[in-house]
Amino acid sequence: MIFKQFRFEKIGQASYLLGCARSKEAIVVDPIADLGTDFYLMEAADRALAVVRVLETHIHADYASCARELAESAGAEHHLFHAAPVRYLFSPLTDGQVLDVGKVRVRVLATPGHTPEHVSYLVTDRARSEEPWFVLTGDSLFVGDVGRPDLLVGDQAVDVLDEAARARLQYQSIKNVLFALPEHVEVYPGHYGGSACGGVNMSGKVSSTIYFEKRYSLAMQQPDELAFARFVRESAKPFPENYSRLKSYNLGLIADPRHEAAHA
Amino acid sequence: MTPQEVAAARDAGAVVLDMRLPRVFARAHVPGAINLQFNRADLADRADMVLPRNQPYIVHAEPEALASAAVDIMREAGFEIAGHLSGGLSAWRAAGMPVDTIQVIDVDDLKSSADSLVAIDARDGFEYRHGHVPGASLLPWTDAWAHADEAPSGELAVICGDEVRSSLVASILRRNGRSVRLVVGGMVDWNERGYPVEKQGAAKQA
Repeated sequence: MIFKQFRFEKIGQASYLLGCARSKEAIVVDPIADLGTDFYLMEAADRALAVVRVLETHIHADYASCARELAESAGAEHHLFHAAPVRYLFSPLTDGQVLDVGKVRVRVLATPGHTPEHVSYLVTDRARSEEPWFVLTGDSLFVGDVGRPDLLVGDQAVDVLDEAARARLQYQSIKNVLFALPEHVEVYPGHYGGSACGGVNMSGKVSSTIYFEKRYSLAMQQPDELAFARFVRESAKPFPENYSRLKSYNLGLIADPRHEAAHA
Repeated sequence: MTPQEVAAARDAGAVVLDMRLPRVFARAHVPGAINLQFNRADLADRADMVLPRNQPYIVHAEPEALASAAVDIMREAGFEIAGHLSGGLSAWRAAGMPVDTIQVIDVDDLKSSADSLVAIDARDGFEYRHGHVPGASLLPWTDAWAHADEAPSGELAVICGDEVRSSLVASILRRNGRSVRLVVGGMVDWNERGYPVEKQGAAKQA
């Protein structure tokens, strides 16, 4: 298989290209507008791949997504979890759903917490083994940290769960879904380093394993959900810049705020 | 360049280099175009190994950002590039221009049509000698431009490792008026099916 992690260092964001060298098809996960649609199309073309699916782990609050443009440009499907409260058309995913691209198999794992519609993507390279190889955890499990559950506060129009409820969900998703995976499974997160989507314990390292995070994630060492919620709140960084406008854009509620900033 | 400009330049001798994916190229392309798959890493090197210098080219890549990058790479490598087809194949079609296609088959089709199709192996000699479709003739992709007229007679089916080099050779043969098919999946699929291969001793040079 072909697997590539793209890092946008300014905000510690990671997006991904997964492809099958046999079928010449690719999936892009969490494309960021700062890199842009052409960037992803060029990277796919460099490997003789056609982008056939564009996946997002959730509706992002700290950057503008270019998933809609990329899917349209490539003639690809744009996938989000079915519960995503967006104002545009997409191909809805359900928990446990399987997407095959050639020999590459992606299984959808519902991992709500950071946001209600958050999913992780478990990847298997069936050319090598039927066992899963790695998981794209988006903003649920980070290296050394977890996704903060408080980024939607004040955004009641699109979110009905409060911070405490989301913190409990995050704890359960990581403990019962991600930590239930085979321990050899590698973890590739949506953010690393200085990203404001997690807390001060987030590592600058860009991948880990279920084994390592299960043993050494400080947040997940907390004895229960309440202690977890307190730990996450107390270790959170300042809110990401412009997050409610970026979130609104990604939901399809407003025009691209980066363009407005450019005109101002 | 507009479709009309591309057509005029082509008719005056420019060669259209279609840099899209082989399977996309096979479905529809500018008649006479050859399929040289884009990538930034070695496009210039591959072009250098395949194409003559003494004539102009037109780039067809999609979307526009790829076309611009490809034009820059080719010019940097010293090729004479007249420009690129603006708006890609949809603009070409919208202008009422005809398209050509190359029929795509898989390795199962090739095996079951062994009597009616002549297999052409577009890989390098060392790969061919290591194992090829029984009866296949070698026409390495790097020789295809200069030696297209030496291909055996009959209905041709071009195969490589996957379908990148085979599509290049198929497009060159097609440009030379030959009837060709593109075998997608290539030797990787052929070997995975456990189909028989012929080794070095039986090699026939095209």
